[in-house]
Amino acid sequence: MDVHEAIRTRRSIRTYLDRPVSRDHLLQLIEAACWAPSASNLQTWRFVILTRPDKLRALRVLAPGFIGRAPSAIVICQDAKEIARRAGQAAVDFCANMDSACAAQNIMLEAHALGLGTCAVGSFEADALRELLDLPTHVLPMLLVAVGYPRSRPEPPQRHIEGSYYFEGYHE
Amino acid sequence: MNESPTAVTDDLFDVVGFMVVSAHKLLDEPQRYGPFRLIDAASRLVETLQEHGASSPALDRIRDEIERGKTTCMGSEQEFRAVLSALVDAVVTELKT
Repeated sequence: MDVHEAIRTRRSIRTYLDRPVSRDHLLQLIEAACWAPSASNLQTWRFVILTRPDKLRALRVLAPGFIGRAPSAIVICQDAKEIARRAGQAAVDFCANMDSACAAQNIMLEAHALGLGTCAVGSFEADALRELLDLPTHVLPMLLVAVGYPRSRPEPPQRHIEGSYYFEGYHE
Repeated sequence: MNESPTAVTDDLFDVVGFMVVSAHKLLDEPQRYGPFRLIDAASRLVETLQEHGASSPALDRIRDEIERGKTTCMGSEQEFRAVLSALVDAVVTELKT
């Protein structure tokens, strides 16, 4: 699958087969994430991989957006202390958000190429998740990615390309 | 039923926990997620009853409809409204039988 096809055929998957994702595949997704662009090349992302039923069960409670019983999830975190140390406190929000989003996209495209389905989840209780995962206070959970084998694939939603771009400056 | 009451209450705790967390998150989430979380909670509740042999054909039918249509929430509002309206119709049908 080339990148052109991967970008256009990836879907957000919200129903999964009861089939585990191999450790090798999960590590391949992490490697793909680490190839993402990184603001100031900080690479301050930290990934927590969840596969244990008790952890996933808790995640279903603490992350309302985590639906469909995916057999695994990757929690994309950022080391805020490290961002602040190397790029300044003012850079934390931007770097953490940008790098997490880019890493998530790499994970989702790599997963798609492997025949896996994913869904990015932003609805979760960050403080509760930090406790569940034993995250230190300076490590921020930014985004979850559900990972599993798709039970079904939704139709592509309409994409609004016309009206989304302007050459040389913004025009109403 | 031979299972311990603890197993049922543990699973119900998850549904209640999901509803509480959803309520908190919904303070800052898109309005459309409110009805979505409500029907997802209903589905999870029925799923729990199913797992413990305590559901009914009527509840199963409602859950099937929820599962078929709930993710339209991410697409067109019109379609999601139609799904919710059909769910209400299904509830009314069950009430009349």
